[in-house]
Amino acid sequence: MGSVRIEHLSKEFNGVKALEDVNLEIREGEFFALLGPSGCGKTTTMRCVAGFESPTSGRIYIGDRDVSHVPANQRNCGMVFQSYALFPHLTVFENVAYSLNVRRFYQGGLGTKLAVLANLLNRKLGRVPKEVEAKVRDALDLVELGHLADRLPGQLSGGQQQRVALARALVMEPAVLLMDEPLSNLDKKLRNSMRVTIREIQQKVGITTIFVTHDQEEAMSMADRVAVMHGGKLVQVDTPTALYSRPVSSFVADFVGSSNIFDAAVKESGTGTVLLLQGNQVLRSAYTTKKKDVQIMIRPESIRLLTERQEAEGDNILEGIVHLATYLGPTIRYDIQVGELMVEVDTTFDSRPLLTAGTRVRLEIDPERVVIL
Amino acid sequence: MSRTPLQASPSQAPAPKATGKGRLSFQLNGFTVLKWLIFLFFFTFLLIPLFSILLVSLTGQPMNIFGSLVSQKILSSTLEKLSQVSLDAYASLFKADSNYFTALVNSLQLATGVAVLVTLLVLPIAYAFARTTMPFKTLFAALCTVPLVVPTFISSYAFTLMFGKTGWVNHIYRAFGGEGVLFDVQSMLGIVLVQVFFFFPYALWPMVAAFKISDVTLEEASQNLGARSWYTFLRVTLPLSMPGIVSSMLLIFTVSFSDFGTPIILAPKDLNLIVVEAYREIAGFFNWAGSAVLTVVMLLVAGFFFWLQRLVIRGKEYGTISGKPTKQKLNDHKGVVTVLTVYAFLVLLVPLLAIGSVFLSSLATTWGHHALPDGYTLEHYKTIFSTSSKNIVNSLILAAGALVLSVVIATFVSYFVVRRGSGGLDFVSSIPLIVPGIALGIALIQTFNTAPLHLTGTALLLIIAYTIRRMPYMIRSTMSSMMAIRKDIEEAAISLGASTLFAAITVIGPLLLPGIAAGAILVFVTVIKETSISILMAPTDWAPMSLAVFQNLLRGEYYTASAMAILIITIVILLQYLAKKLTKDQLY
Repeated sequence: MGSVRIEHLSKEFNGVKALEDVNLEIREGEFFALLGPSGCGKTTTMRCVAGFESPTSGRIYIGDRDVSHVPANQRNCGMVFQSYALFPHLTVFENVAYSLNVRRFYQGGLGTKLAVLANLLNRKLGRVPKEVEAKVRDALDLVELGHLADRLPGQLSGGQQQRVALARALVMEPAVLLMDEPLSNLDKKLRNSMRVTIREIQQKVGITTIFVTHDQEEAMSMADRVAVMHGGKLVQVDTPTALYSRPVSSFVADFVGSSNIFDAAVKESGTGTVLLLQGNQVLRSAYTTKKKDVQIMIRPESIRLLTERQEAEGDNILEGIVHLATYLGPTIRYDIQVGELMVEVDTTFDSRPLLTAGTRVRLEIDPERVVIL
Repeated sequence: MSRTPLQASPSQAPAPKATGKGRLSFQLNGFTVLKWLIFLFFFTFLLIPLFSILLVSLTGQPMNIFGSLVSQKILSSTLEKLSQVSLDAYASLFKADSNYFTALVNSLQLATGVAVLVTLLVLPIAYAFARTTMPFKTLFAALCTVPLVVPTFISSYAFTLMFGKTGWVNHIYRAFGGEGVLFDVQSMLGIVLVQVFFFFPYALWPMVAAFKISDVTLEEASQNLGARSWYTFLRVTLPLSMPGIVSSMLLIFTVSFSDFGTPIILAPKDLNLIVVEAYREIAGFFNWAGSAVLTVVMLLVAGFFFWLQRLVIRGKEYGTISGKPTKQKLNDHKGVVTVLTVYAFLVLLVPLLAIGSVFLSSLATTWGHHALPDGYTLEHYKTIFSTSSKNIVNSLILAAGALVLSVVIATFVSYFVVRRGSGGLDFVSSIPLIVPGIALGIALIQTFNTAPLHLTGTALLLIIAYTIRRMPYMIRSTMSSMMAIRKDIEEAAISLGASTLFAAITVIGPLLLPGIAAGAILVFVTVIKETSISILMAPTDWAPMSLAVFQNLLRGEYYTASAMAILIITIVILLQYLAKKLTKDQLY
């Protein structure tokens, strides 16, 4: 097991910068997600850790070992590929046993070497030793696929292939487990249940895991911490909740969920900040800033929607008119016209009729939820 | 590169980097050496011979390029010859009364005629396959492979069995009151007919694809606007399929132009064709200069049309714009379907009857007095297995040699092209596509005629010639299975601890095997079929089956020739079936 430390990692492809000065410290046993849109450098970062790309500059440590220039096959990184990359000519059992056989090949004498090779090329030749068999069985039981050991990968469903790939990576007891968009090839329902499965297995084994994804929901629901990347740089590294409630930039705010982002001028800054929005709307935030002109972010569900009859609890209030109501099942999305601004508000559906366009409303916002970016 | 000042232990840092680099460059070297060896092979046995033949055509004298590299004396004589470079030989080519000129014109006429006729012949069949509910499609498709397995000189011979003066077709013709013969098979017309009926499958499948690809919604739009179906076909379907049709027409042109088997059997004395002329110049008169000029001309023509074909495919691809497969409504008009089915059957019947004739002749005691043989015997098969068993063994050995060489080279070339993006090797290895067999043969014979690399007349050069000639096809086969193996499969093996070599042996190798095996079998098959190179280059000790058939025909031993031809066809069909099975049965 090991922590992963990435220091000043940069990578160029033919002069094009794919990664710029990435610094990360991933703790032992942590489930860590690399999140970002395609082309942001998340996969390149992981491939550098795996050893499939060599960094243009910078260092990578797994545990205390500097692996920056260690060949990929000596890094002891288990990897689950986006396409699973199962060996189509080997059975599930043989796929999972592959790394153990490789190890036997390199550590054994000439006889073992020949036996391993013969067995890999033709399964009728040679037997698999007991301890290999036991380890493979354990790994397959972990992913609940013990009964499919003799199938070929082509005969399995996508979710089953996914679990074989996971077992194959785990059986070698790697220092780090790397997963490259492992859920993107599954349908939505399966994806949700695989999320839980992967998370449970990771907790059970306690292995340091780096998980690459472009799906914020996936990253937020599974990871202990998430690194958001954009344009080859790290933008923010934080826990999912902190990422959601206190994003550092409008990019992060937008990427990890829907949000209202407005330009604002700072009127006063003391214990909190008084902000002046477009159209002279005044709003308070609990946070402080030294800047004069800022962007603020308010999550749609953190706004309380009050009709004229309802009483406000605080005094941080904007007044507006319902422009559009969209029924989304458990929630209702209202677009509220506040002066020149359009504010999105999510309310839970409570079986009362939706407010119609033109209804006068007040928006009450907790200053704690008005984030200055 | 800016080094970071924050390194934990700068003194330690460079050490692992150095070893890492060392290992990397060592690996690169191993692969680079291999790559250069393959380049060297193509350089020695393809590029230098072609270059050499160009020099010969310009100087009018034989060249010894490899000799010039090792001996000062040969070098100076080569340089002296080079000082006499002139275009005289080419100038004489374009005198209207020269043999070469008529040969070129005749060959161009032949190829043009065959290309046009094949297109017209095949269009209805292609339409039937792609757009109608024609019955027996699978059977017809299988029968369409038959013409391709028969070497052209055997099909030509088969045509003489049918349409010659004593051929059975003419017996029937006379029985119905005809006079003499239906047509003279030993003529331009005979050559055209053989090539049309035996080359049409080359054009059929590209045309079927062209008809299938073109967007049906456009046709529906046309009909929706009130157009009749024949009008729609002429003004919408046909123009949309045009790039595919033109490209297969050009392909047929090149195939017909380079074909040697048909004219060598059927061309009458007064009909000059460029391939036959080139063959006679080298094999009959040892006229290096003349054959060199003809070779260069053949290369230029074949190369030009190959380029043209590529251009057509690359250009107007508007037929394929819509990527989504549209459901096509098949034409089920009873009359149309019946006419097309009967027509397709009749076209396919001709090559079948031709092969049937060869088969019958291989069993005949004598044949020619009546429409059917006078009697039947297995004697001819006994003869070939007793007196010509050497030829059979030769064929198998030569084909096996070419197979091994092709597998090794093609596998590595595919690896370099697919995995390392070596465009140079891709280009060099596809040059043989445009080199007619006779041209390659002449170039090799000339280049390796004297020391230090005196290989002309050896089995080795013959094997190399076969290998080079079939290399592009073999590479295509291995390359496609190489491309089917995703890169992350290899990376998965590496992440599991395997070295590149171990991954290659245990994962990539087994996955590539079916593709390699299928390609290898096809190489084997084409070597057994190969005519031009065998006839031109095979030494007497190493005469393969095809050469034996050819010599039997020259000596007038027709029945043994037939038996041997049937043997060749049988081997070819069996092996091709095997190859097809191998590629189809890939489990993954």
